[in-house]
Amino acid sequence: MLRKEQNDMLTQTGPGTPMGQMFRCSWIPALLAEELPENDSPPVRVKLLSERLLAFRDSEGRLGLVDEFCAHRGVSLWFGRNEEAGLRCPYHGWKYDVTGQCVDVPSEPAESGFCQKIKLKSYPLIEKGGILWTYMGPPEKRPPEPAWEFATVPDRQRYVSKREQECNWLQAMEGGIDSSHVSFLHRGDLHSDPLFKGAKGNQYNLGDARPVFEVVESDGGLYIGARRNAENGQYYWRITPWVMPSFTMIAPRGNHSVHGHFWIPIDDENCWTWSFDYHPIRELTAAEVSAMRDGKGVHVAVMPGTYRSYANKDNDYLMDRAAQKTGASYSGVAGFGMQDASVQESMGPIVDRTKENLVSTDNGIIMARHRLMRAAKALAEKGITPPGVDPAHQKIRSVAIVLPADVPYKEGAKEALVAKPGVAPATV
Amino acid sequence: MQSESARMASAAEARFRIDAPNSKPRAIKIIALDPPSERVVKRLAQETWNQASFFTASAFSGAPAKGASFSMTGWLSDVAGRTTDLINEVTSADLVVMVATAGENASAAAIIGEACSAKRINTTGLIIGGAGTSDEALSKTLAQLRPWSLMLVIASAEDYIADMLVALRA
Repeated sequence: MLRKEQNDMLTQTGPGTPMGQMFRCSWIPALLAEELPENDSPPVRVKLLSERLLAFRDSEGRLGLVDEFCAHRGVSLWFGRNEEAGLRCPYHGWKYDVTGQCVDVPSEPAESGFCQKIKLKSYPLIEKGGILWTYMGPPEKRPPEPAWEFATVPDRQRYVSKREQECNWLQAMEGGIDSSHVSFLHRGDLHSDPLFKGAKGNQYNLGDARPVFEVVESDGGLYIGARRNAENGQYYWRITPWVMPSFTMIAPRGNHSVHGHFWIPIDDENCWTWSFDYHPIRELTAAEVSAMRDGKGVHVAVMPGTYRSYANKDNDYLMDRAAQKTGASYSGVAGFGMQDASVQESMGPIVDRTKENLVSTDNGIIMARHRLMRAAKALAEKGITPPGVDPAHQKIRSVAIVLPADVPYKEGAKEALVAKPGVAPATV
Repeated sequence: MQSESARMASAAEARFRIDAPNSKPRAIKIIALDPPSERVVKRLAQETWNQASFFTASAFSGAPAKGASFSMTGWLSDVAGRTTDLINEVTSADLVVMVATAGENASAAAIIGEACSAKRINTTGLIIGGAGTSDEALSKTLAQLRPWSLMLVIASAEDYIADMLVALRA
């Protein structure tokens, strides 16, 4: 459980809040690059960390993320004309560049310099790994660019998707570090999903239904290790790294691609679930990419023109009670992604953690909250940069490995937990 | 028309959730396995808890030889120094948390773990290891706790223990 004030602290990410400050220390995913496909393409509304923004790519390819509303009369610039290196409000013609600087107020004489006095709030927007990333903190503390391995491999080795999730970021993220739910909610899918099946590691999962968990602090956050018995008294480990505030990577299976998530607050009651797959040393196959587009693995199939899943709370997630009854699906909801979203959204927009009853296997969640609160407090009170901002913390990998029984996995998998370009992942 | 899931997951509906206790206090026994951990546990014991009780097994110096019989009676000490029966304490526990310091002797974990196993009581092992802890020291303690912990946490600082106990409603 958390006390109410702790729950409020961790779940509120608007301007001026402790967790909001923490998210504003890092580059965070804002849009898929496909959303601004070409110069002068239509602008896109973006809400992040409870701030209404507008993204656009100008005539010269420059990217901008600015306050959504015109400084003149508050019109949404989504209605604007993206032309001639700027975005022009259709109401009275005020025009802004990608930095939010007003560059034309037609009703005022150019020589008056009036437009120089008008500037919308704006944030940097950069393209890397198929994602447009923004940094919403103070300009003087702008961190180095994102160094996550999935974002640095060649394009053909990566697939990225995003979907709306209608609940607070924390309850979505906590699903990502709660390894014990996999044996229930996702039961069965490990052996049928084309992006998971066939790995030797799956046999260890089948052979030992009661994993034992070990939670270890890392420089950037945590490692959560799930241990199962392997041959000759050894252990099969699946190690999930969590990097603050909201990045996780799932341990690989065989030669399948590796996947993971970011959970980024839209506001306090909605978030983006970002999902990626990549392989450090090979291109994804056409079949893999096709499966990902179809919503297999950690991805979901979304309605065209949106990033909302076909199965969503408006249609009861297409709950299939017959499949649930026959055991064809444990949860009755299809696909890993919406299985997670359905249960997490059912908790309400912001779950009341004063009422929960955590158990010993929830120590990953308990430790993550502990570290988030500690880091948010250190940032707010002493200005200490939180873990996860340092690029070294981002160059990590998830690991599946068999180790002797007496070896600490953080030590036994030390090399494998670090992303090294061109080096194959440790996987079973 | 909204689906039932959409209506019921709304903030407006949250105010109709039952506002009544949904659990009874759990008996959590926290046992220090070595002298540095004993100091930590004694500090924790000064705070107010629902149903947590604190003990030390640090006087115990070694696990019995393999196959040797042993008595688990009169084995723990409470924070006031009174000897207490391990089996009785374990029997009345919902969860046993064993606290060890990296590099220290945590051999008592074997006896406590065996008692918990016999009584089907869940165990959590908690190793406190600061940034300066060597891998060798950590390995030594880990090897003693791992066989007897259904959940193992390696924390860099002792303040995690209090947060964990609050989270577990101890």
